[in-house]
This record gives sequence, structure tokens and C-alpha cells, in this order.
Amino acid sequence: MKRHRALPVAAGSALALLLAACSGSTYHASTQPQQTSAQTFTYDTYTPVMIDGWDPATEYSNGIIAMSLMYQTLTHYNSATHQIEPELATSWSSSDNGLTWTFQLRHGVHFHTGRLMTAQAAADAIQRTIKENGGAAYIWGAVKTIDAPSEYTLVFHLKYPSPLDLEASADYSAYIYDTQAAGSGGNLTKWLNTPHDAGTGPYSLQTWNSGQEFEVILKAYSGYWGGWSGAHYKRVVFRVVPQDTTAVQLLKSGQVSFIEQMSPTLWSSLKGASGIKLVSAASWQNLLGQLNTRALSLPVRQAISYGIDYKGMIAALSGAAIPSSGIVPAGLLGHFTDLPNYSYDPAKATKLLNAAGYGPGKKALNLSLTYTQGDTNESIVATLMKSDLAKLNINLSVQSLSWPTQWAKGKSSTASQHQDIFMEYWWPDYADPYSWFINLLATEKTPYFNLSYYSDPTLDGMINKVEPLVATDRSAAEQLYKQMQVRILGTAPILFLYNSNYQYAMQNNFTGLQVNPAYPNVVFVYDLKPTGS
Amino acid sequence: MTRYLARRLALAAGVVAGVVLLTFLIAHAVPGNPAASWAGPHASPAQVAAAAKYLGLDRPLPVQIAKYFAGIFTGNWGLSIHTHQSVLSNIATAAPASLELVIAALIIALAVGVPAGLVSARRPGRPADQAIRAGSILGVSMPIFWMALILQLVFAQRLHVLPVAGEYSPSLLFTNPLTKVTGFPVLDALFTGNWPMLGSTLSHLILPAVVVAAYPAGLISRMVRAQILDTVGETHVQMARALGLPERDVFGRYLMKLAWSPVSAAIALVFGYSLVNTFLVESIFDWPGLGSYAVASIGTLDTPAILGVTLFVAIAYVIANLIVDIVQAVIDPRIRLR
Amino acid sequence: MIEIPEAPAPAPAPAAALRTRGWLRSNPLLAAGGAVSALIVLAAVLAPLIAPDPGDAGSATHPFSVLKPPSAQHWFGTDQVGRDILSRVIYGARISPLVALFVLLIACAIGIPLGIAAGYFGGWLDDVIMRLTDIVLAFPALLLALALAALLPPSMTSLTIAISATWWPWYVRLIRGQAASVAGRPYIESCRALGISRRRIIFRHILPNAITPLIVQVSLDVGGVILTASALSFLGLGAQDPTPDWGLMVSEGQTYFTTDWWVVTFPGLAILITAFAFNLLGDGLRDLLDPRRVILR
Repeated sequence: MKRHRALPVAAGSALALLLAACSGSTYHASTQPQQTSAQTFTYDTYTPVMIDGWDPATEYSNGIIAMSLMYQTLTHYNSATHQIEPELATSWSSSDNGLTWTFQLRHGVHFHTGRLMTAQAAADAIQRTIKENGGAAYIWGAVKTIDAPSEYTLVFHLKYPSPLDLEASADYSAYIYDTQAAGSGGNLTKWLNTPHDAGTGPYSLQTWNSGQEFEVILKAYSGYWGGWSGAHYKRVVFRVVPQDTTAVQLLKSGQVSFIEQMSPTLWSSLKGASGIKLVSAASWQNLLGQLNTRALSLPVRQAISYGIDYKGMIAALSGAAIPSSGIVPAGLLGHFTDLPNYSYDPAKATKLLNAAGYGPGKKALNLSLTYTQGDTNESIVATLMKSDLAKLNINLSVQSLSWPTQWAKGKSSTASQHQDIFMEYWWPDYADPYSWFINLLATEKTPYFNLSYYSDPTLDGMINKVEPLVATDRSAAEQLYKQMQVRILGTAPILFLYNSNYQYAMQNNFTGLQVNPAYPNVVFVYDLKPTGS
Repeated sequence: MTRYLARRLALAAGVVAGVVLLTFLIAHAVPGNPAASWAGPHASPAQVAAAAKYLGLDRPLPVQIAKYFAGIFTGNWGLSIHTHQSVLSNIATAAPASLELVIAALIIALAVGVPAGLVSARRPGRPADQAIRAGSILGVSMPIFWMALILQLVFAQRLHVLPVAGEYSPSLLFTNPLTKVTGFPVLDALFTGNWPMLGSTLSHLILPAVVVAAYPAGLISRMVRAQILDTVGETHVQMARALGLPERDVFGRYLMKLAWSPVSAAIALVFGYSLVNTFLVESIFDWPGLGSYAVASIGTLDTPAILGVTLFVAIAYVIANLIVDIVQAVIDPRIRLR
Repeated sequence: MIEIPEAPAPAPAPAAALRTRGWLRSNPLLAAGGAVSALIVLAAVLAPLIAPDPGDAGSATHPFSVLKPPSAQHWFGTDQVGRDILSRVIYGARISPLVALFVLLIACAIGIPLGIAAGYFGGWLDDVIMRLTDIVLAFPALLLALALAALLPPSMTSLTIAISATWWPWYVRLIRGQAASVAGRPYIESCRALGISRRRIIFRHILPNAITPLIVQVSLDVGGVILTASALSFLGLGAQDPTPDWGLMVSEGQTYFTTDWWVVTFPGLAILITAFAFNLLGDGLRDLLDPRRVILR
């Protein structure tokens, strides 16, 4: 399930959502008493971390902030240089027709279980991930067979050309883990959910206090292939603090190192605070309003697209949002600034509505919008949209629902239950725009993520063509992505509201943080250098 | 005495039965499809029908009611949709924190309200009386969720004299782990001699308890004042005065006892009211009690949890009333004979 | 919030009204309460005239001036979508007292007939009605309203229904007490003996006696209903955006509170002042109309 990025709301403690029945003689599972803060990195998040379970094959939620420290992938995407870098694979190549990919794996890497990582072990992990078919397993969709011809050589045979080096760097469902961790005949999923971790990363699981404030505690894995020379954090604590104001207090008093999310006004108020560093960086996440193409005609959809004050929305969000151009955010293949984007033009909107019999002075149009409860940014956007559309004699009724309820309503088999506008965030599973198109715009027999209920055979054809093209002819793929975006701007199945900006706040006592939108909100703690100030 | 006790218990049991019935009716009279919620968002129509059968929703109404009653009394209060755990176990985990808060608030309310009422009644009509009357009416007019936010902003965020939220400082769990004896952090810290933790739990308790205490304090002060002014004309008091007893004694010995009666009767009322008021305050202070659980349940439309909390608080209220009635009967023999 | 219902008061002596002037002078608080309540009602009525930006109380938004602090242009500042908070607070005065009015009307509409039936006719009818009220009263006031409101689709209508459903028992008890005390009087028996119909007795003798305590109770309850309604709206169970309900405004402003204090402070202050004023008024009316209250000098 694609999880929305919700902004914390002061009321409604997420902690209360997972009250664990307290057993035993202590209030919370206590951990080792000593706690040297110079060596501990505390990551403050607003919602429980491991809600999707502990299986690296099926994780599809917030858990990657912890998992990416315990598990690793074959390749790693560096968003600053746009390069795919070695991680568990040291080099790779593809055949000319793009149907065979060969990866040379790193020698001497051990899983936290002690077992050596060989090509066969890696193949087993990927094959299990494909079999489990959870999370983002679709990224391996092109794979026909996987071989391990020698101890450290991994070969993929594909059904069609696909950028496997890029897919192997995904933030979901690309982890390499020890499939034999539960022993022969043991149930790996159960073993993982105990919880245990079977990764190769620099940190391994020490304690999991489900439903509690200090939820996840990781300790350095002494046998990590990267070694521990130099200054590194030896412990990572994930602390769940639902109220962002409390989180800021903790940051100011030095009890947390990094805050994942807070309201934009609060973030701005920290400018100039001593000992605190603020980082603002573009993400690959955008906020979309999926328009119901079955209920709303093309002129109406276009009218709505012209009827929204995008600049106003961005102004109201005080730096948390930047304008979008098309569907692909900046920093990704397929991003273009010269697309026929919609801008706020009430006159044009009125003309289009009038042609359909609606508009000011004519018949009123009643529309429904759903957004995710608990997200203050979405709530502001919904309020602004309601007021913008009211000027066009469109009555927008706004409903805030919990994500499972919102999604269930959108997926409902009863078409009358469907909303007119479905507001949600989207971000890619790997550094490629394919995710938006295949999930949100390709024809679906039963609705899943395509909540515009959009069916466009021409676009489907383009979607089928583009992925193999990325592997074989990148610039042609780029042009195809442009064509696709021009097309969907014309047919207006989606409102492109804005692109999100990360707004992080952290201590000033470390260096080396690189914001990488390919791994949203993940801080690669191993790469940080504590300066101990 | 036993006759009175038996009668009161029977009455209370009857009321509890009525309360359970009423919650059942609310659950089923309200529009919605419990079978669909149970089956989940991905269910097919066949699965929803199977869920309806499993939940016994296809049985006739009296059978459903009987099953519901049986479930309640055997501890099966349903499964919470948002925690996936038994509602009763969630409530049992959350209840002590709320009880701790309410009891602390009542202690503050009595400590402030009773003396205020006495001072007010001592010289009625004077400036002190007017000021206290204004203050107590202010107390009962206070929107407590707003008061919570304001106090939190002023004392915790700006002045930094009190903690912002939580029951105690979580980092203390590493250095001074707290062993559970009673389930109430303050008492446990006290009994185990865990002084740093005791200080932490007390300092975290102050703001929420003061907020919850506002209404009861105002109410108690008004009641004490009213009761004293009502009884001040009674013959035995006049007699005491006529005999030349100092006003202080008159106040202390005779009027105090009389003032106590409406206050003790009101204790159950304010207990119930304050317990519900915690719903508004707990989420602001990250207090892990029934209030936070209820608010989270409301936010996720977790019907079993909402009804479970409602039932629990109602039953607690009935029990509180029962206890107060029995205590009053013990103190005042006239009541038993009624 | 209602206090413990007291024993029914006998019919007020005519002299009570004549004591008003001196009473007003010696009870400045209560006079202030009445004045402020009147001002609030006046503000509600005149809202379109006195609010600087009436459109802001509806669906108007101004995204380029969000979260502005109080200034000459916006006395109470602006909220997270740029709406003028002063205008919204003024329009909010239309909502809370109106909800209180409806709730109390419904509570009386249910409570009076049931109370008369229970008190006048007595017997098994009395028992049944009393047990029913006992059960509803077994729930602390806010709780039942909360449970109902949480299960109904959130709106002002649901809120009004939910609160009314919890408020009526007090009025049953009150009217029952009145009816029972009057019904037991010898002159009523004479009326019956003379053949005067039950209806005439109810309307000519019971109801008039009940009016005064009823008025006192209603005026005492206004503040309580306003607080309950704002609490439910705070929890998201009542008014929905863009309705300028004070409780909703406090709830929406929470996230910004530490950096933009005015979004929460002014609506909350409005709730406080309104509840306070009506409570003072209710208190004053009770003191005025209830001669049992001996004010010692």
C-alpha cells in the first residue's frame, strides 16, 4: 500500500494507536542503561515506524527509515550526481539487446546472521521477494530467470529490456537479505517478524518497543564490510513523537538529532536558533488531485484545472511546496519545464463550464473531494480549493478520511461511492517516472491506484513502450515521457497541485547529511560524521 | 444497613444493565454496516455476508442483545479496529493513566474549592465573596481544551517551568527504570523509592491536573458557599451563636460538617464529568489514558472502541455513585432509613 | 453543565420583582453577565454589518496573507488560509447560542410532557419514565453526546441531536418534581371533584408553577450547552470547515499555536466569555427568582 505522507496534527496521538498490552513488571521494555549521546543518533519521527512488519520483501511504508540502515541493495542511486553507484554490487553491465544483466557482487559481505553473501544468496532473496509479491515487487516485473554462474556473479535474464541497474536501487522491495536466516524448514516471515533482521547493512536491530516512544533501537554491526574506522554513530534510536512542538523542544534540548517532519510555520520559526541546522530540499513527492474521469467530462476537468489558484496554495504553505510542471518532479528523467501546464485562469474556466451548462449564474455543480485525515497541508489545500471553486459556482464538499477508509472508498466496486477528486501524495519506488504512469494512469480493470478511473489505450501503449526504451535508448525515452505528459495535460485526469519540499531540522553537531529523494526521509546514519560539539 | 445496601446494589445493577442495552441500541441504530467494517475494505460481498453471519448479525434482535450482554460480562468487548487488539485490554492499559489524572484533579479541586467556598460564605456580599464567586463561575465556564493549550504554551513552551507533554520523561527509563506496582506512575515511583521518577511524574501531572480541576473547583466552591448560606439560619447554629461560641468554632465544627454533605454527593458527579473531560485534554498533553484512546478511536471511526470506552466510563460513573451513596449512608443514618 | 437538581421551588412571591433594582445595584457581576450576553446576541444579529470581512466567515480564502499576527488591518490576525479571525469570531456568535437554543427547546419539548406524565399521573408511568431517565443520566453528559456524535456523520445537525439526546432527562426530573408537588395539593383534588378536566389543571395550575424553575434551569444550562457543543466541535464531531464555529477554530489552530498564538486564543476566549456571561446571567436569574436563597448581610 502506498502510504501517504501525513503532516502531524497536535490532537490525536499516534502513540495511542498502538497501545501494547503492558505485561511484565516494568513499564516499557528497558534497554541497556548506558547511553552516550555522542555516539547515538536519534531520529525523531511523528508516526510509528515499523507498522508494515519486518519483512524487507514486503515493506511499503514508513519503515524504510529504519530498514535502509539494516538492509542494503545491489546498487544505490545518488540523486546529486544522477549516478547509479555500487553498493552490494561493484560493477554491472547489460547485453546489447538489454535482455541480460550481469552484476559482479562485493566480496566478503556477511549478513547479520553470519552467513556470507554470495550471488546465490542474493538470487534467493530477489526470487523470494518476487514470489511474495508485496510492496514494490513489480520493479522486478521484467525478470524471467536469475542465475548465479559463479560465487559472486549474478545474472538476470529479462523478458523485455528494462533498466535493471536502476530498479535494483529502489527504496522498496530491492533489499538483499539472508533467506536461510530461519534455518532449514523454518518460516522466514515469522522469524523476521519476531522481530529479527537478516540484512547486510551497517546497523542491526537491538530492540523493538512496539507502540512506544523509543520504538526502534539499532546498534552498529561490528562485521560491516565498510568498516568502522573514523567517526561514526554507533547507535541509532527511532523516537516516535506525534506532536511537532514537542519534537522541537527535544531538538533544542539536544535529546534528538533530527526531526523528520513539522509544520512549515514551526520550521520557519527555527531560523537562527542556536545549535540547530535547517535543511530545505526538493523531494520527488507531489500532491495530486485525481479527477474522476467517469463522472466528470473533459471540459469540466479542464475547467477545474484552470480554476485553482496554484500560486496561492504554494504561498499559503510557507515553503513546504514548490510549483509542479507536469507529473515528473525535477531531478528525474522526464522532467520538463516547458510543458503546457495549467495556471490559474478563472475566465477560461468559466468559459469551459458555461459550454457544459455550469458556471457562475448558471447551474451549480456539486463535487466531492476526499483527502487524508491528519494531514494539515492537505486540509489547507482542500479549504483553498473549496473557496477557489466556489467562485465558479462549484460546490466542493470536502471529506477528511483516514487513509484506509479514503482508499477503500476510492477502490469501491460501487461506482456511485467514488469521489470526484481524490487527493493523495505520490512518489516513485525508484529513480524513474514510470511509477506514476503505471500506477496512476494505466487502465485498471478494478480500481487500485488509478483513482481517476482513467482508461486511455493510446497512453497505455506509450506506457508499455517507455520502460524498455529507458534501458536501450534513454533520450528517446525522455521524449516519450514528454509526449505522455503533454497528452495527460490535455486530457486532464489529474490536478497537479504542487511538489513537496522536505523541511528538516537537525542538530549542528554532525556533517555529511545528503538529502536523497530516491530514499524519502532516510538518513544514512553511517555516512554521517559526528563532530561532537 | 444491609437492606439499604442490597437495594442500592440492585438499583445499580439495573442501571448498568440499562446502560449496556443503551450502548447496544446506539451501536445498531446508527447508520453503518458493522459487517462491512469487520470484513475490511477489500472484502467481497460474499465475505461481508460471511462476516455478518460470524458476528451473529443475521440472528433475531433479542438473541443479538443476549449475546451482547453475555459478551460484555465475560470480558469480550470486541476488537478495536485501529489497534487490532481487544477493546477491553486497550481500556485496561489506558484507564490507570486517566484515573491518576482525574484523582489528582479532584484533590486539587477540593483543596482549592472547599476553602474558597468557606471564605466566600464567611462574609457574603463582600469583595472577597464577589471575587471568589466570579472565579468559580469562570471555572465552570472554561473551555478546558483551550485552557490546556494556553497553559501548555505559557508554562511549558515559553517559560519552560513545566514539561510539555507525557506522563514522565522517557529518557529516565534508561537511568531509573520504573517497576509497575499499582499501574499508577506516581504511586509506583513513590512505593519503589524512585525519587527522580517521582519528581518527573509529579511535574508532568501538574498542568493536565490543573486544567481538569478547573470545573470541579468552581463547582465545589459554589456548592460549599450555597450550602453554608442555606444552613446558616438553622436553629442549632443560631443556638451555638446565642450561646456565645466564637464564630470560628461555629464555622469549624458545625457548618463544615454540613457543608460536606453536598460536596460528597457531588464527588461522583464531578468524577464522571472530569473523566470525560480528560478526552479533551489528554491528546494535548500526550497523556496515554482513555482520552487519547477515545480521540484516536473517534479519528479512525473505531466503533467497538468508542462504545467500549463509553460503556466503561458509564459503568465507572455508576460505581462511583454507588460508593458515594454507601459512604453517605454510613455517615448519615437518616439516609439508610429512607 | 447542570448542577445537581435541587428541590422544586414554590411559586415566587410577587415582591421578588420589586427587589430588582436594589438587587441589580448590589450584584454588579450578574448585571455584567446580562449585559455581555445581550451584547453577544446583538453581535450575532448584526454580524454582517460589524464584521470587517463577512466573506471570510464563509468560503472566502486569502492564501497570500496566511497567519498574519494581529494588526490594525486584522485585529485578531488571520488564520492558516488567510481568513480574518475577527470576522469569523463575530459570525461564530451566531452558531453557539443558536445550538443552545435548539438543544434546550428540544429538551423542553421532550422533558415537559414526560415530566408531567410522570409527576401528575404517577404510578407505573412514573416508574418507567424515571428508570429511563436514570439510565440516560447514568452517562456523564458529554460522554453520551460524544458517542452519538461520533457515530453520526459530523455536522451541526448531528451535534444538536446528540446533545439534545443527553440533555432532556434533567428537564423530566425538574417538571416531574413540580407536577408531583402541585398534584398532591388539596386544591387540586377539589378541582378534580368539581369536574375540571385534567387538561385544564395541567395548563392552568401545573405549568405556570413550573415555568419559573424551568426558566432558571434553562438559563443556567445555556453556558453548559455552549461548552459541550464547542467541545464536540473541537473533537471534529460538529461543525465542519468553513463554518466559523469557535470550537472548530481552536481545533484547526492547534498545529500553529506555538508560532501563531492568535489562531487559537481569540476563538477560545469567545467561548469562555460567552459561557461566562450566560452563566452569570443564569445565576442572577436564579438569585432573583428563587426566594429560598437567603442573602445574609
